[in-house]
Amino acid sequence: MMSPAHVADLAPEAGIASARILIVDDLESSRRLIGTVLESAGFTNLDFAADGEAALARMACKPDMVVLDIVMPGPDGFKVCERIRSEFSPDVPVLMQTGMQEDDYRLRAFRAGASDIVSKPIDAGELVSRVRLHLERRRLMSSLQIYRQRMEEDLRVAQAMQHSLLMSAEQVDAIAGPRGARLSTFYQASNTLGGDLWQVFAVDETRFGIFMVDLSGHGVSAAINAFRVHMLVTGMTALADRPGVWMQALNRALVDMLPVEQFATGFYGLVDRAAGTLTYASAATPPPLHFRADGSWSALDGSGVLLGCNAAADYPVRTCPLGAGDRVFIYSDALYENFRDPEASLETPDLAAHVQAALQSRDDFQAALLSRVFGPDQAHPHDDLTWVMLEAGE
Amino acid sequence: MEFKTHEDADRLTLSFSGMLTFDDHETFRSVVTSIVDSPAPTTVLDLSGLTMIDSAGIGMLLLANDRASKQGKQLRLRGVTGHVAKVVELSRLEQLIPID
Repeated sequence: MMSPAHVADLAPEAGIASARILIVDDLESSRRLIGTVLESAGFTNLDFAADGEAALARMACKPDMVVLDIVMPGPDGFKVCERIRSEFSPDVPVLMQTGMQEDDYRLRAFRAGASDIVSKPIDAGELVSRVRLHLERRRLMSSLQIYRQRMEEDLRVAQAMQHSLLMSAEQVDAIAGPRGARLSTFYQASNTLGGDLWQVFAVDETRFGIFMVDLSGHGVSAAINAFRVHMLVTGMTALADRPGVWMQALNRALVDMLPVEQFATGFYGLVDRAAGTLTYASAATPPPLHFRADGSWSALDGSGVLLGCNAAADYPVRTCPLGAGDRVFIYSDALYENFRDPEASLETPDLAAHVQAALQSRDDFQAALLSRVFGPDQAHPHDDLTWVMLEAGE
Repeated sequence: MEFKTHEDADRLTLSFSGMLTFDDHETFRSVVTSIVDSPAPTTVLDLSGLTMIDSAGIGMLLLANDRASKQGKQLRLRGVTGHVAKVVELSRLEQLIPID
C-alpha cells in the first residue's frame, strides 16, 4: 500500500479538489482509512455515511462522487446504487468497493449501476487514481454539456434571426396583391440554420421582383452568407427592373465575398401583369415550372453560371408569358434530389405531376406537396428546402 | 467517394466513384494534395463513376481547379454523366472548368 506521502504526488487539480465525495462504509475504521487517503491526496470536501439509509439521505447534498461499500446492514451497496441511479442521479460516479473477488459481485455491481469498482483491501494509489479519473471525466462532461447548451441557445437565437429575414405572408400580399398576383412560400433549414433565402420587392406601381438564392453548403457558414446576401440585395433595388443586370451585380459582389469553394445559385424574376410576362435571370436554378391556366405545363430554363465564381459571367434575360391563372413554381434542389436513395430522385416531369396533384388536392398545398414528395412521414430533406409559388390573378 | 490515381508522363488522372458530397471534405483534401504534388501539367478528373454530386462536391471541384491553376496546371473534367451531368449543365460549369 502506498504511504500518504506517495499519494500526495497524485494531488488533484484545483478544479476537482473541492469536489464533494460521499464515503459509505459501515466500518468506522474503513471510513477513516478512505477519508485519510483522500485527504492526503488533496480532496477537501468529504462526507460520510455509516449505512445505506444514511447514504441515501446524504444524497440530498448532491455529492460529485460516491465511494460505496457493498456489505452493510440495511440496504446493501447494490440496492443503494440502484436507488441512487433511479432516485437521484443517473450519472454521478459511483465507485464500489468489492471485498470478495468473485466475478459475480463485480458483475452485479455494474448491473446495479456502478461506474467502477475498487478492490478491498483498499490500495491507496488505486483508490486515488480512480476517484480522480472519474471526477475529471465528470468535470469534462459537465463543461461539454454547458458548452453544448450555450451553442444550442446561440443557434436558436440565430435561427429566430434568420426566420425574421423572411417576409411575412402579409408583407408579401401587400406587394403582390395590388400588382395582380399571389405568392405562397415555404422555407425549411436542414439543420437549425440554412443557406436559402427568398425575398419579394416592389419595383413600381405595377411590377414586383421575386428573388431566391441557395448558398452552397448548409449550417452556420451558409447562414452567415445568407445574411450577407440579404444585406446586399436590399441595396440593389435600383436595378430591380433589370433582372440580367441585377444578377450580374449580385454575382460580382459574391465573387468578392465568397471563398473559392463556395458559391450560390439564384433566381431573380420581374413580374409584370400588364405586359403578361415574367422576365428573369437565373444562375443554376432548378428548372422553374410554368403551369398554364389550361392545365399544360413546361419547364423553364434555369441554367446559368454559378454565382460568386467568375466576375465576367453573363446572365441572359429570359421571358415567360404569364397569363391570368398561370402559375410559376420556383424551388431549391432539395425538393427533387435524394442523396439517401439516388434512384428515388425526381425527374422534372415527376415533380411537375406532384405539384399539379398538390394544387388540386383539397388539403393545404404545402402539406400535400411535402407528403407527396417526402412521404407521409416527411423524411427530413438532405438540404435546405425553399420554394415560391407565383400565381397570376384574373 | 473513393478515388484511384493513375499517372503517366504528362497527365495525372484521378477516377472518382460513389457520391461526392459534404461528407467527403477529408477525402478530397488528398485529391488536392495529389494534384499539387504531381509534376504533371494536366490533371483529369474522371467523374464517370460518380452517381451524385451536391453543392459541396461542386465546391470541391472548384477548389481543385483553383489550386491547379495557381500552380500553372490545367484541370479538366471527363466522364460527366447522369445526375452529375444535370448539375454541370444547370450550373454551366464548363464556363469555369474545361470539360472533355
